[in-house]
Amino acid sequence: MKTQRTSRALLAAMALSSSSLALADTSQQLLEQKIDNMAQELQLLKSQLQELKAQNTTLVNQQAEQKQQVAQQQTQLQAVQDTQTQIAAKPSALANLDIWGYGELYYNHPTKHSDKTQADLARAVFGFGYQFNDRTRFNSEFEIEHAVTSSSDVGEFEVEQFYVDHKLTDWASLQAGLFLIPSGLLNESHEPTHYYGVQRNFVETLIIPSTWREGGLALHGNTDNGFNWNAGLTTGLDLSKWNFTPQKAPYTTALELQTSAIAPMQATHQEMAFANAQHLSQYVSVNYSGIPSLLIGGSIFTGGVVRNQTNIPDNERVLLWEAHGRWNPGKWDISALYAHGSFSHTADANAQFPGSPNPLPAEFYGYYLQAAYNAWQNGDYRLSPFVRAEHYDMGAKYEGIPAGTSTTPAQPLPGLDFLPQTHDTVYTIGANFYLNPNVVLKADYQNFRINKDFSRFDLGLGVEF
Amino acid sequence: MRYHSIPAVVICAAAAASAGLVVTQVYAADYLSIADAKKLMFADATEFAPYPLHMSADQQKAIEAKAGGPLRPAGWVVWQAKKGDTVLGYVVTDAVLGKFELISYAVALNTDATIRSVEILAYRESHGFEVRNQAWRNQFVGKSAKAPLRIGDDIANISGATLSCTHLTDGVRRIATWAQLALVHA
Repeated sequence: MKTQRTSRALLAAMALSSSSLALADTSQQLLEQKIDNMAQELQLLKSQLQELKAQNTTLVNQQAEQKQQVAQQQTQLQAVQDTQTQIAAKPSALANLDIWGYGELYYNHPTKHSDKTQADLARAVFGFGYQFNDRTRFNSEFEIEHAVTSSSDVGEFEVEQFYVDHKLTDWASLQAGLFLIPSGLLNESHEPTHYYGVQRNFVETLIIPSTWREGGLALHGNTDNGFNWNAGLTTGLDLSKWNFTPQKAPYTTALELQTSAIAPMQATHQEMAFANAQHLSQYVSVNYSGIPSLLIGGSIFTGGVVRNQTNIPDNERVLLWEAHGRWNPGKWDISALYAHGSFSHTADANAQFPGSPNPLPAEFYGYYLQAAYNAWQNGDYRLSPFVRAEHYDMGAKYEGIPAGTSTTPAQPLPGLDFLPQTHDTVYTIGANFYLNPNVVLKADYQNFRINKDFSRFDLGLGVEF
Repeated sequence: MRYHSIPAVVICAAAAASAGLVVTQVYAADYLSIADAKKLMFADATEFAPYPLHMSADQQKAIEAKAGGPLRPAGWVVWQAKKGDTVLGYVVTDAVLGKFELISYAVALNTDATIRSVEILAYRESHGFEVRNQAWRNQFVGKSAKAPLRIGDDIANISGATLSCTHLTDGVRRIATWAQLALVHA
């Protein structure tokens, strides 16, 4: 019985154990299934995470790209703004053409000879320029002097400037053609609004010719520290144009003195009209304006000339040098200039015309000191009174004149009731009244110390645009 | 003729030497870009914010009356120079006519409308370069529209460059007058 009970118990235990084993199998399967599920979920999450990561990277990239685009746009906008004012917007080819002009009218009243009072449209000048590109420019000026030009009138039509300027670098340009000689303060800046007094000063008319131009080649430039330099190779003078035997007085008034081309270089420069170019001239000019309100400078012009007579040695030369300064402290405008010219080997020429009323000088010079003051200004209106003292001598020295012989005739030439001297000291007092920077009304009184009959009262109108 | 040959050779050689430099610079007239000018004028600035010009017709007339000449604000570009949130001043670019061509320039102004500096950006003419001269441009520094800012008065002329000097001075005066009225009294 005991054995039966034991075997039953054993059976029961076995049954229990097999059922518990079966139960264990089931839960393991469940667990595995769960683990599988979780692994799957993990895989899903993983892939989702990767997807998110990728999305995030794309977003970051897009953001960076957008940022870059914005930055690029900003740079482009900046560049557009930066270049906006750099562009000289010109709508058509005609816009490369520049037209300008200037002119002046005089009323001259010699105080001792009112019968010689004259009014003259001294010059009307029109200029045309063309800017081919950033580097190359053409300039020209055409001048009508004394209003009417014909075979029976005194007027002249002249080409005053006609040249091409080519910029080589920031600091140097090359010029070729007919251009102004950079001598003195006035020649290159000769517009009536630029100088004081109705007419140009005597030194820069009779000693340095004006408007003095020659044909040739020039190299010029500026430096940032204020040096302005110019050197050129040009046509020069023709001394054969000198008139040793004038039949009548070449000038009877101060106006004629300035406009009759009787001064040494005024009478002999060639103005590029079939200019004899066998002998060329050279010049060098330097100006310094590195200190505000101050300009100092000078120039030398020298060269061989067309000899005066064909039967004299071909060795005559010209030398003109000048030094100048201009100082503008505040409302003052003070300027001074000294110019000295010489012709070499003139003795042979003068020896051929003994007793000439107009021998060829060996030396000539002049100087002036001028002070102007900007006395009143209201808007564009401006009044600048000035005084000037000047001395000129068109015949400071002669060669080939027998000792003791006068260089001036004993009697006045026909047409003149007094004997003009080739030298003088002139005091000028006057004022420039500007309606605007381009239009000026002028008045002055000039007192001649030696040729007293030339003393005069002048009125003038000057225009520049 | 022997005498002539030397200067002729010197001039031609100098011309040839200069010509050799031509290819290195294409835009010979432009001296300073606006970006460089701004940096030069306000070295400490971290930002140049475009500064819109709001000017009524009446304001423009008032400035013209005070500056003594027509205003061309359409050609102006204005920036406010900033270091962080601090305003250091303003840069105005403009262009005026020299004799035939435009001179581009920039004026830097302090916040009290005094002129900090004037720079030439581009000069296109063959004459009158002297306005580039630093010493001449320094005449403007520290002045404002309270000064005459006129050639033949407190600004010295450069003989031979009168037109460039006058027009540039007129331009700077207009900008200084705008600054005085718009920036200080605003």
